[in-house]
Amino acid sequence: MLTDIQEGKALSPVIKHITQEKINLYAEASGDFNPIHVDESFAAKTPLGGTIAHGMLNLAYVSEMMASAFGRSWLSGGKLRARFKEPARPGDTLTISGKIDCVEQKDDVSYANCSFECRNQKGEMIVTGETIVKFSKDEKYDRK
Amino acid sequence: MSVKTISCDELIPGYKFPPATYELSASLVSKYLKAVDSAGDGFVPPLAITACAIAAMTKSFAPPSGAVVIHASQELEFFKLVPIGATIECHTRVAQKITRSKMSMLILEHEVFDEGKEKVQSGRATIALPA
Repeated sequence: MLTDIQEGKALSPVIKHITQEKINLYAEASGDFNPIHVDESFAAKTPLGGTIAHGMLNLAYVSEMMASAFGRSWLSGGKLRARFKEPARPGDTLTISGKIDCVEQKDDVSYANCSFECRNQKGEMIVTGETIVKFSKDEKYDRK
Repeated sequence: MSVKTISCDELIPGYKFPPATYELSASLVSKYLKAVDSAGDGFVPPLAITACAIAAMTKSFAPPSGAVVIHASQELEFFKLVPIGATIECHTRVAQKITRSKMSMLILEHEVFDEGKEKVQSGRATIALPA
């Protein structure tokens, strides 16, 4: 977890390799068996040209990065807005990175406003977005 | 129990999907954590709860055969920690539907409550699919 919640601070990135097996596992865990994710012959005939990972699988990795940085504050007071730009495909290695853009204080509560992005090994943007984490003022905060 | 599936045409603003209840057992959470390749931290991952909300919707919605359904954007807000073993109830509704040419954009909103009827999560998804 972050010891200091500081504007400009980068969050520890999360790196994940996407495989068809992981996509299939996510389909089973989520009940989302849309053929674009799990049916390789169907997906090959679509404009996407092959299977793609569930958008929510990519977001799970974003949430993992946020939980690593903010712990329970994220799990119980997090807010996220994401835009899916390109699909992640089997064979892709995703790097999810983020940083604290600013910290606001309202009464006794502080809010860390972060931005994040998820890119594949070619540098293509897969997901981009923003998060807000609410945390109490006794957590360390250091405005530069 | 079988669930009646509905078509895209029936998804109009205000439509409410049948609510669904899930027990977030250790085995369900473990299956989710394996799928997302994560160690977890002793609580139910909030995105596992989102996955339940999506599952509640997808089991009653049948997109047109051969259709590619695209998840364009997602908003989520988490309100409280959910312990492993908790039971949640998921509610999803169609907030908006915009049809242009051959595509429809659906805005779906979900809310998830715990056994004490306290809200644990809400979300808003934009889905694109053939009209």
